[in-house]
Amino acid sequence: MEWFDALVQGILLGGMYAQYALGMALMFGVMRIVNISHGDLVILLSLIGISIATAWGLGPLPVLIVLVPLAVLMGWVLQKAVLNRVVGSDPLPSLIATFGLSIALQNLMLQIWSANSRSLPGHGIESQSIEIGGIYIGLLPLIVLAVATGLTWGLDLTLKRTRFGRALRAASADVEAAAMTGINPRAVYAMATAAAVGILGFAAVFQALRSTVAPADGPAQLIYAFEAVIIGGMGTVWGAFAGSMVLGISQAIGFRIDPGFGVLAGHIVFLVVLATRPQGLFGKALS
Amino acid sequence: MSAIPYVATTEVPEVLVQRQTRSGRIAMTLAVLAMIGVAAMPWWASTGTIRSILVLCSYIAVAQMWNLLAGYAGLVSVGQHAFMGAAGYALFVLAQTYGINPFVAVFLSLLVPAALAVPIYLLLHRLDGPYFSIGTWVVAEVFRLTASNLPLVNSGAGMSLRVMKDYSAFERNVAMSLLCAGMLLVTLGGSYWLLRSRFGLALIAMRDNPGAAASQGVNVVKLRFLIYVASAVGCGLAGAIYFMAQLRITPGSAFDPMWANVAIFIVMVGGIGSIEGVLIGSLIFFIADRWFGEYGATYFVVLGLMTLLVALYARTGIWGLITKRWDAPWFPIRRKLVDPNR
Repeated sequence: MEWFDALVQGILLGGMYAQYALGMALMFGVMRIVNISHGDLVILLSLIGISIATAWGLGPLPVLIVLVPLAVLMGWVLQKAVLNRVVGSDPLPSLIATFGLSIALQNLMLQIWSANSRSLPGHGIESQSIEIGGIYIGLLPLIVLAVATGLTWGLDLTLKRTRFGRALRAASADVEAAAMTGINPRAVYAMATAAAVGILGFAAVFQALRSTVAPADGPAQLIYAFEAVIIGGMGTVWGAFAGSMVLGISQAIGFRIDPGFGVLAGHIVFLVVLATRPQGLFGKALS
Repeated sequence: MSAIPYVATTEVPEVLVQRQTRSGRIAMTLAVLAMIGVAAMPWWASTGTIRSILVLCSYIAVAQMWNLLAGYAGLVSVGQHAFMGAAGYALFVLAQTYGINPFVAVFLSLLVPAALAVPIYLLLHRLDGPYFSIGTWVVAEVFRLTASNLPLVNSGAGMSLRVMKDYSAFERNVAMSLLCAGMLLVTLGGSYWLLRSRFGLALIAMRDNPGAAASQGVNVVKLRFLIYVASAVGCGLAGAIYFMAQLRITPGSAFDPMWANVAIFIVMVGGIGSIEGVLIGSLIFFIADRWFGEYGATYFVVLGLMTLLVALYARTGIWGLITKRWDAPWFPIRRKLVDPNR
């Protein structure tokens, strides 16, 4: 029963990681860029959300409604001001640019919000739970998982069914051929990053609700997102979702074995997947 | 060293391959003098100065190792501190736990990063471009968490190098100075030698275009692997010497991502793909750290923004701007053909 409980908690934790991983999978799939400040953006949005909530006395839902459009705007500005200048076949410029941005953001947040851990007051939602077959499941983690599933489903449908999704897929397959058919790659890129960071707006609210956030927490979130994407298999939205579940379960079981082993267990599962199935659990093998 | 006669065939005019320039000779003389100055530090510098120079030498060494990886092999690592910490810990275990002479243990400890780099590269090279970078970061985190849980290295509490008290302050200063000079010789001198050799040609070809280099017979896969291992050993040497001077190591200090910031800032601002850039960048960072380090977070915001701006607008860094104006390399690696009859 104890291990079944760890499994359930792992799946719920995976819901949190899926919200980080979706944006990373989307940006890498379309631009072959990894934004090193990915995790720092989550923390920045969380801290802004917490400040808004305390200043105006807002509950979690109004904060979410304010934060997601703000996140979309941030993503769009990030693409226009920084990423459009560094996108290309050489991975170095984009890595260095976002690495510098990450250092600057972390320290800027440290100055504005100090090193203290903060969390978003949830007005009771964070302590409610429901009992299913002898296991108590927190209401908030369940909402997180449901939202993550909804976001994955929505993103998958957008990619498959809409004009924007077709443009994205075309640009990721061959950007020059896509440009010849009348797609403006820069506009597509800007929308992709806006969507990716927009999803981080959801992640920011839930992260601040279910635990605490501090300015130095960003890199850990970046690494979890990355591991989820690689475990699941690059290039598929549902792969990133499944990878998040595997990572969450690994960490939850690791924590049950020894509290010092939880995060390490996630890293080890990532390395084992990389050694035995480099295309990811759900990715297609390269021919 | 200055001119190697070209093996002339009948129809080709006799030419000389010029490999050294006047600026190069001046710089080489200065570099040798500086190296002797570093080795002779106990006779002219205070212990405090020696410690500062040791930190500067560590910056130069780590930055040059990162430069070899990112600037020539196209492998952007953000986790080279994994090897610094691994060698540092190896030194502490060998010297403190097993009682091996610490000055011998410095060199023995290099086997650890070398042995770790092989399987790590075999794993990580499967990751595509930017994902490789974050993979190196994960490996450094794995090392840090492993050290935090490993009783052999006293887990999270860290270790102290108490055996150093068996040596007088002067003896330690002599050893530190010689190790610093040796570290510069191996990382900078070794890179310069490598870049002037046949491997250097292959490396520069690979830097400019890996695909084209492979078509010319350069074994890109093997060369990348060798550079990764060499860079791990170089970072290990810097780590072992740095932590020997610190006398204390903890998982947090040994695997501190700060070193990735340092290496990236130095190489990008100084100028990637050149030894001169590493020297310029190291000096700038060293001085900035002394002057502005007290401003803490603000200082790092500026550092981060400068790295961002260099990546956006001036990818060749300061040395790139200098070479645009003056053609006077300090460490020339080009082969220039000159006609002796003109």
